[in-house]
Amino acid sequence: MSSHERVWEVFRQEDEGDPMVHAGNVNAPDEELAVHYAREFYGRRGESHRLWIVARDAITELDDPDLLKPPLDRSHKKPGGYIIKHKLEAAKQRAGAAE
Amino acid sequence: MSDLDDATRSAVAELLLSLADDEFVIGFWDSEWTGIAPMLEEDVATSSIAQDEIGHARALYELLAALTDDDADRIAYGREPDAYRHAALLDHRRGDWAFSVARRYLYETADAVRLASLATSSHEPLALLAGKMRREETYHLLHADIWLRRLAASPDSSGRLADALRSLWPDAQEIFAILAGEEALVRGGVLPTPLRALHAEWQQHVRPVLEAITGPLPDAVPTLGGRERHGDDFRWLHGEFTMVARQEAGVTW
Repeated sequence: MSSHERVWEVFRQEDEGDPMVHAGNVNAPDEELAVHYAREFYGRRGESHRLWIVARDAITELDDPDLLKPPLDRSHKKPGGYIIKHKLEAAKQRAGAAE
Repeated sequence: MSDLDDATRSAVAELLLSLADDEFVIGFWDSEWTGIAPMLEEDVATSSIAQDEIGHARALYELLAALTDDDADRIAYGREPDAYRHAALLDHRRGDWAFSVARRYLYETADAVRLASLATSSHEPLALLAGKMRREETYHLLHADIWLRRLAASPDSSGRLADALRSLWPDAQEIFAILAGEEALVRGGVLPTPLRALHAEWQQHVRPVLEAITGPLPDAVPTLGGRERHGDDFRWLHGEFTMVARQEAGVTW
């Protein structure tokens, strides 16, 4: 049986509206049992409002460091590089004067 | 429950005891898989379902204790083996995985038919509890159904599954074994449908599913005393599940 097992990633939501958070994974030979096992591992104590059960092989992964951690300086891609405090104050004043 | 006459009260007690003992005993048998189920995930699932059954038994024993002014733990752990009223289906040790799956399927399908009727019982505490139990049992039935289909589909296991189903078939009927005082229960609406009608409904539902696996199954009906004959397998299990309670009689946990 183990030769047919697949890994299923499980995401859980604690309450309606909460983000879906990765909870862990289960081994199961098919989707039906994956749903059962996900419920047993991540929902049997009433701790979850909703579960997402996704076959790991259905997930597209990106972990290429050339794309995610490029060697060149990326500071110009970060919002921290811009100081907008004075521009914001000036905009507020303009808005106040227009009222 | 002072509005019940003595005869009806003892019939209700008999009904509650049969339901509770079924859940209690199958819960203990299935808990024998803890640690050795086919895979880790299944180990957790089977153990959790077994635990649910013990939980249902507890709720039923508590109803019974309230009705008869007794103590739920005393009823659960304080009886001799012959005083238990589980159906003959539950009198066998757990066997191999195919045997346990076969038994769970037979039991869960029968229990579903029984609970659907009891959810409309005139005995309100029982109707409420049956309604709650059904919500969990739906999930148990789904689990048993998945495994029945899996084992039936694999050449390695379909023969074992068919053998187990054939050997358990007669004893499975006893879930619907006639109860003492059943007429009073049906008349008062405590048991909205007679057991023989529930039995017919169950057979109509499962026979085609099972015969696709086993081939033709013989005619079979519940027998008298189908909840009263207990063998060595159950005596062993009884020794196991009463072991702790027997060590310190009357102790509070």
